[in-house]
Amino acid sequence: MKRIVLWSLVALVIAGGIFGMVKLGAKNPADRTGPPIDSTSLSDWSKGNKEAKIVLAEYSDFQCPACGAYYPLLKQLNQELGGEMQFVYRHFPLRQIHANAELAARAAEAAGRQGKFWEYHDLLFENQREWSEESGAKNIFVRYAQSLDLDTGRFTNDMDSQEIKEKVDKDYASGVKSAVDATPTFFLNGKRIQNPRSYEEFRSVIEEAVKNSS
Amino acid sequence: MKSLEALLKKQLKTVPRWLVWGFIALSFIGFLDATYLTAKHYLGIPINCSFFTGCEEVTSSQYATILDIPVSLAGAGYYLLIFVLVIAYLDTKKERILYFISRLTPLGFIASLWFLYLQLFVIKAICLYCMISFTTSTLLFILGLILLQLEGKEIAVNKS
Repeated sequence: MKRIVLWSLVALVIAGGIFGMVKLGAKNPADRTGPPIDSTSLSDWSKGNKEAKIVLAEYSDFQCPACGAYYPLLKQLNQELGGEMQFVYRHFPLRQIHANAELAARAAEAAGRQGKFWEYHDLLFENQREWSEESGAKNIFVRYAQSLDLDTGRFTNDMDSQEIKEKVDKDYASGVKSAVDATPTFFLNGKRIQNPRSYEEFRSVIEEAVKNSS
Repeated sequence: MKSLEALLKKQLKTVPRWLVWGFIALSFIGFLDATYLTAKHYLGIPINCSFFTGCEEVTSSQYATILDIPVSLAGAGYYLLIFVLVIAYLDTKKERILYFISRLTPLGFIASLWFLYLQLFVIKAICLYCMISFTTSTLLFILGLILLQLEGKEIAVNKS
């Protein structure tokens, strides 16, 4: 009898442990809220409908695998709901843990100077594994610029320019001001939202906001 | 839990009680930690990148899975095995189960050292949950060494 009680108790404790951890695992850790952000500023990179009432802003780091995982979701979201919302991208390079994140942000800005920010943004996420851990990432970034037919001389100069460094710093500082501490972090009309767990969830969050705004 | 305590009081003449509780607590913490990472893997929810956990880098790296099976699942199995074996010892009072566990702990320790090396020198990111596992497996290994020492002493006594 005692044995049955003991082993039943053990089975219960193990099952409870698994259940608890799965529940905990389903939660998103980024549910801290901070002050709202200014939804758009003139220096922001944005796409979609610039007149839309719904603005989705992302603080992102090109080297962050989670941002890479969200990239296809956002691309699809922009394709399907681009007419009803504006999507804003802001840099939040986690320099302490991602050695190439800042350089990648500056490379995207430099490509933006030649009108190809979004094309470059896509290239960085699609090839994230190729350059993330490379000590010679700069050469890879120049190669990407070449593949987009950019002026590589200008691209290299811009990447190292003070102006672009300040732009990246400004984005980062605006995130810090709103308690951003992880990437990606999303703001819907300036208010921080919990990271949706799937494309469907993301889509319904945006659709709900569109419905409420009309 | 009372029946567990009663069992503990009855035995443990040669094996200190704290050692057995240590095995139970550490293996259970390790099991919860590894189960959490496994759940994250299968639920497909990316752990955010942040200065504090560094986990997304580690758990999404090529080293986090072997043949599509997350290493955290193997970790959960390892800790669960130790947990169940300690309970089996409490149930059957057979000390050789404990000595078997002590021979099992170097496996977990070596695996943890390998993962620590990968985090520090290859992935260059430290995942908090992996460090919890490193701590539990190291402590289990130390408890295993203490047990082995006790076993050595016991054998010496038996021989004389």
